[in-house]
Amino acid sequence: MGAAAEVALQRPRRRPLVWRRVRNGAVPYLLVFPVVAVLAGVLAYPLYYLVRISLERFQLFELVRGAGVYIGLDNFRSVLHDSTFWHTLLRTVVFTAANVTLTIVGGTLIALLLVRLWAAVRILLTVGLILVWAMPPVVAVQVWIWMTNVQNGVLNYILTELHIGDYFGHNWFDSSFSQLAMVTTLVVWGALPFVVITVYAALSQVPHELVEAAQIDGARAWRVFKDVTLPVITPILYILTCLSILWDFGVFTQAYLLIQQPAIVPGNYLMGIYLFEEAYFKNDYGRGAAISILMLAIVAVLSIFYVRRMVRVGEVE
Amino acid sequence: MRYRVLAVVAAAIALSVVAATAAASGKQATAHTLTVWLQVDAQNGWPQVVNAANNAFENSHSGWNVNVQYQNWGDHLQKFDATIAANNTPDVIEMGNTEMTKYMAAGAFANLSASKGQFDNSGHWLAGLKKSSMFNGKLYGVPYYAGSRLVTYRTDLFKKAGVKKAPGSLKKFEADLASVKSKNHSKGFSPFYMAGTDWYSALSFVYDYGGSIAKLSHGKWHGTLASKKSIAGLKAYRTFFRSTAPKSASKLNEANPAPYTVFSQNRTSAIFGPGWFSCCTGKKYTKVTGQFVMPSHKAGQSMPGFLGGSDLAVPGQSNSQAEARAWIAAFTNTANEKALQAVGNIPNATNLLNGTVNDRAAKASWFVPTAKHWVDVENGNILRTMLGQILTGQLSVKKAAQTASANIAYTLNQS
Repeated sequence: MGAAAEVALQRPRRRPLVWRRVRNGAVPYLLVFPVVAVLAGVLAYPLYYLVRISLERFQLFELVRGAGVYIGLDNFRSVLHDSTFWHTLLRTVVFTAANVTLTIVGGTLIALLLVRLWAAVRILLTVGLILVWAMPPVVAVQVWIWMTNVQNGVLNYILTELHIGDYFGHNWFDSSFSQLAMVTTLVVWGALPFVVITVYAALSQVPHELVEAAQIDGARAWRVFKDVTLPVITPILYILTCLSILWDFGVFTQAYLLIQQPAIVPGNYLMGIYLFEEAYFKNDYGRGAAISILMLAIVAVLSIFYVRRMVRVGEVE
Repeated sequence: MRYRVLAVVAAAIALSVVAATAAASGKQATAHTLTVWLQVDAQNGWPQVVNAANNAFENSHSGWNVNVQYQNWGDHLQKFDATIAANNTPDVIEMGNTEMTKYMAAGAFANLSASKGQFDNSGHWLAGLKKSSMFNGKLYGVPYYAGSRLVTYRTDLFKKAGVKKAPGSLKKFEADLASVKSKNHSKGFSPFYMAGTDWYSALSFVYDYGGSIAKLSHGKWHGTLASKKSIAGLKAYRTFFRSTAPKSASKLNEANPAPYTVFSQNRTSAIFGPGWFSCCTGKKYTKVTGQFVMPSHKAGQSMPGFLGGSDLAVPGQSNSQAEARAWIAAFTNTANEKALQAVGNIPNATNLLNGTVNDRAAKASWFVPTAKHWVDVENGNILRTMLGQILTGQLSVKKAAQTASANIAYTLNQS
């Protein structure tokens, strides 16, 4: 009687313990599940369809009929044998390198400036940066187009009035290089606020005492930055660089709208523009899908570095 | 007792709301919309014609209303492709005559051959427009209007410079423009304005010298821009542009800025473009705006003008094809075509021509190669690149023409 009662008492107690452990272990997954479900729902079908189209001949004729014709890896073969693809890839890599460098270096410099400003001026500058961040890219492009207008643009007017040179009637979109340079200024301008504010937050982690100690020891500004500040903000700079590379590699809106379609030629293609032209202008959706998947593969490799770093940061905390 | 009264009142209100909604939705169920895509040229140039057609259609089709959505030339085809993919096409779409072939070959449009008699003057349609609407002997579009290219000029500035009549040759025109320039020294003023890469206008020089863009022989396209005659035409264009137009316009296109905008800002005395440019030369200069046909380099003749034009097609996926055809018939009837003619266009039928400056310009005209992939040559900006290279001196005329010619042949010969 006593043993049976003991067993009866023990059994209910074991179940709640196991169940609680399972429940606690499952909580993180349950919390993440809705987001994953939505992402899967929204991305899974398009991704499946993208892969399917990349393996088909899918041009205007097939679009009207609503179905493609299976041709295996022919689209991929055609793209990888196309010199335009390789030239565009190289140009995009150089473009990305230039943009990321300017963004990170410029952003860090402005963040260092923010630290030293009076509160009132700091607030003004921060508000300005927020407004830049909030401006939609399409609107920014239109303002840039007006400012760089050949006959009426304010940029030409100011440069001429300040006697920097005779910029009357100067066309800022004369060559492929100048077109991409203008796109770079626009993209970097739009990317700075995020970098500045993130680095500014990171700079608050730099211990004041170390900086003062280094300055008392006679270290100049550059030494202080290199030996005290930089090690502290390096993890953040690393993450920002990874993000910037991912974003700038796939840039499309600013480049396509600023250069404008009548001036888009293979000589100023970026990967995003090349993909758009192949798929939507030449109506070769199969080829466009193949280029898209190749771009995805490149970006996936780049993002491995970013994800690994984020996981490591999470583990430390 | 109170609650019962409340309940009855509530029920009465609910029932009346339901009845009203049912009645309203009943009305909505019978209201249909016809979606029409026209280009912004109609919105700027002849909105009254569009309104007339809409009113006529809505009066004869009760319960229908017309939703006109204006499109830009630069991206309307991409938007159309998206509607094809979504099975949500407009019921009527305006297509440029150079854009028709590719879509007819893909089977995107409904066959209108059986309904040809429904449209006014269909027996006398302009040959060029009719050709662009037909594929494999079937009719897929209704000619809408055509336009040649004219010079729109400031009569007051020309008079001040002592120019008494329209120039009879290209050389005389250059001399007249130089006279205008000598009488006008404001900064940024140029006697002639044209976008350097505006190939619709620039290639007129090539055709004036007997050259051409491409020729089909034995089923294969050959680029002909590097022929002796074509190169002579391109050189003549370069000379004319460099002596009369602003250098800063060498690489610009005709959409940004629009030539009539430059005209309305008093920065030029002559522009080269479609006849309907006269709509938008600015309130200040409406009374002093005139037009004449661009003269050839041969005295007494006209330079061939690009016979641009549009057709109206009914996408095959439309569920309202009969109504779409009725709207097109209302839009292209004789009265509306005459109204289009009055604002500077060429009407779609030969029996409506009446000797205006536009009609005279249409007598000497040229058109692009009628190839399935011609629109890819346009979208690939091959001609624009060539013109920009020639005008800036980046490449010699021969080199630029050879490159463009090879690219055009490659694009047109794709399967």
